[in-house]
Amino acid sequence: MQTADVRAASNDQEVLQLLRAGEAGRAFALLLPRFESKIYRLCYALLRERTQAQDAAQESLVRIWRTLHRYDGRAALSTWIYAITRNRCLSALERRRRADGARADVSAADDELAGMPVQLPCSDAGGPSSQQRDAQLRSLVDALPERLRRVLVLYYFEERSVDEVASMLGCPAGTVKTHLFRARAALAGRLRALGLHDPCAWLGGEP
Amino acid sequence: MTREPFDAELDRALDAALGRVLVAPDLPQGFDERLRLALVRAAAQGVDAPTLAQLRQRLEREQHARLTGLQQDYLRLRRRTLAALIGGAFAAGAAAALAMPWLVGHIGRSAPLLMAACGASLGLAIGFGSWLMRPGVALRQFDIQQGES
Repeated sequence: MQTADVRAASNDQEVLQLLRAGEAGRAFALLLPRFESKIYRLCYALLRERTQAQDAAQESLVRIWRTLHRYDGRAALSTWIYAITRNRCLSALERRRRADGARADVSAADDELAGMPVQLPCSDAGGPSSQQRDAQLRSLVDALPERLRRVLVLYYFEERSVDEVASMLGCPAGTVKTHLFRARAALAGRLRALGLHDPCAWLGGEP
Repeated sequence: MTREPFDAELDRALDAALGRVLVAPDLPQGFDERLRLALVRAAAQGVDAPTLAQLRQRLEREQHARLTGLQQDYLRLRRRTLAALIGGAFAAGAAAALAMPWLVGHIGRSAPLLMAACGASLGLAIGFGSWLMRPGVALRQFDIQQGES
């Protein structure tokens, strides 16, 4: 982890030096391979929809390219980039909310366990396939409150790195850990409430 | 939310299952190519080209200015209409006063009464006509027709 941090810091310095030398194009080319996938994953975690995530990621990268010359190195490069990306996603969510006339995904974050499905269409007795179980687990994750869901999803997208998720969402690592704990507790509670005979076996894919 | 006792085994199983289910999506096919085109477009517009938000703000300002202009035009029109009505009434009164001796000579002593009746009828006709043609009536008729169809 420390090596990754050191590498990131040196990369930030390199980008900053190129910017000071007036080579914004080369600086952008340097940061693009490091961030484009992460930006897309962040957009996907926030927007839940691939096409919109792709558009938002592209808009974010164009915005970063346009404003890169203003980056002054006071914050970490990742912090600056993720803030731009989150703003793009919030705008996209706002547009979607206006278009749907429904309540915003963002504000849905506050009701802790609202939206959880009452019952899944299976139990461990019937022996659904592992694909069905995975789909059911995914639907349980989707039904989590928004702020828990996005932390949980990003945590696994980012190979269980709490610091990376905190940086992406612009919140303290402690908050990420709390949300992760709550999300898993909510999922575990939901699995128990479904009356599964052995939730561990169900999760492991055993019939 | 009821507090369940922490089950380490279930937590481990859940962690493994979530790791299996929540796989990071790859960049969509052609993403880099589309990004390159978007950057070329952005470069053609210039680094300081207005963003969508700035364009929206500018349009909102323009729309606001246009609405204010329309409102002022509407007030000006109402003032002019009122002035025309008052001026027209005075002119009609003056014309009637000038024509009165000639009318009395030709029609007789009932000329003032006839003039007053004609004036009142004309006023009532104009008033009733404008009442019928006001926008609300037209809209209500439209609603009735819509309801019938």
